[in-house]
Amino acid sequence: MMKVKDGQLDKLGLLYERYSSSLYGFFYRKTKQPQLSEDLVQSVFERMLKYRDTYTGDGSFTTWMFSIARNAHIDHYRKQKRLREDEILDEERIQGEDPSGLGEQDLRAQRKQILEQAIDSLDEDKKEVVILSRFEGLRYQEIADIQGVSESAVKVRMFRAMKELKQTVTTLTNEYSNE
Amino acid sequence: MNDKHEQLIADYLQGTLTDKQTNELESLIESGAIDFIDFKAIEHLHDELEVLPVPAPSPEMRNRFYEMLADEQEKQKQTSGFDFKEFIQKMLHQITGPKLAYAFVLLIIGGFIGSTIGNNNDQLEQLSGELESMRQMMMISMLEGPSASDRLRAVNISSQLAETDDRAIRALLFTLNNDPSENVRIQTIEALARWGNQDVVREGLIKSITRQESDLVIVALADVMVELGLQQAAGEFEKLKNERELTGSTQTKIDNTIAVLL
Repeated sequence: MMKVKDGQLDKLGLLYERYSSSLYGFFYRKTKQPQLSEDLVQSVFERMLKYRDTYTGDGSFTTWMFSIARNAHIDHYRKQKRLREDEILDEERIQGEDPSGLGEQDLRAQRKQILEQAIDSLDEDKKEVVILSRFEGLRYQEIADIQGVSESAVKVRMFRAMKELKQTVTTLTNEYSNE
Repeated sequence: MNDKHEQLIADYLQGTLTDKQTNELESLIESGAIDFIDFKAIEHLHDELEVLPVPAPSPEMRNRFYEMLADEQEKQKQTSGFDFKEFIQKMLHQITGPKLAYAFVLLIIGGFIGSTIGNNNDQLEQLSGELESMRQMMMISMLEGPSASDRLRAVNISSQLAETDDRAIRALLFTLNNDPSENVRIQTIEALARWGNQDVVREGLIKSITRQESDLVIVALADVMVELGLQQAAGEFEKLKNERELTGSTQTKIDNTIAVLL
């Protein structure tokens, strides 16, 4: 990134090849919308170019990148004045998934569906901690820098998120098995 | 369970517990302060999350990024003005005694060569040819380098060459078929298209169709086939369709290309 900052813009291509999948995964797990996730990845790289002078190289690049990603996600919903869209989309998605068809699915597919619904049910901060820690492999201190809280707070969020997930998974499993 | 216990379990999940903390966690479980069944259920769930897949982004995402990057580079070129005063100051600042002496020697040698060669056009052409040949050698050597950005630069150098020889073309075709970087391969297609009037290039491009794994590269090849009007490529595209599973947009692109070529 320091080379991009120094004007070697072609080096951003290398960063893209290395991190675009990770960023896409981050947004997809947050939004479950492929097109929106692609738009947000593009937005992150545009911001990296725009704000390249603010990159100091002091912290880790990943932390800087996910901070931009987080802001891009927040800004998107603010600009669109669709702060409640997550909930609406969740409702639509849950309605769209035909529960009557679940009996025909194999157990593994059903389990995945339950896990995805459980993650979606977490609040944004907890969901973000789970995504960054479990899927993107960031350390708690890095997540703390991104979320602007202490490392201990992130650890507590992680534990509570897992506890909530466990409860939701149990509830959803019971619901499906009763259908 | 208090915050400290929760943090301990979070550290356990990330695999960052020290020996001391591991002992502490074991003691808490033994004493019942942390429920063992709950703890194992959370650990199992944490492991289980790995199965959740993320679909691959569409090829358009990459295209959009590189278009944006190209625009930005273009803007950078336009805005980077040349400050003559700053340049002179920098030059003066850098001049040292040995550099001056070196420049003087070069001037004498240059004068001598100039007076020997005079206005002999043949010799000038020879020099220019040698320079071109050196550039080709540099390009071939860079194409073999480990860095993708160097290889990209090499491909760009090839597009500056006034003419090229078999060795350079073979190097470019080898790059097209074997380079691990998708971007390098795409740039190579564009570079080779400049020499599309040569049979060896046309044949090489056509043969490369079925060797490509990346949809983006296949799409770039399809564009070049249409640009060069290579009808023989239609057969290779048909073969590719039968042999490989392609994404919907690539499939459509190939169908359109075949229709245009035939």
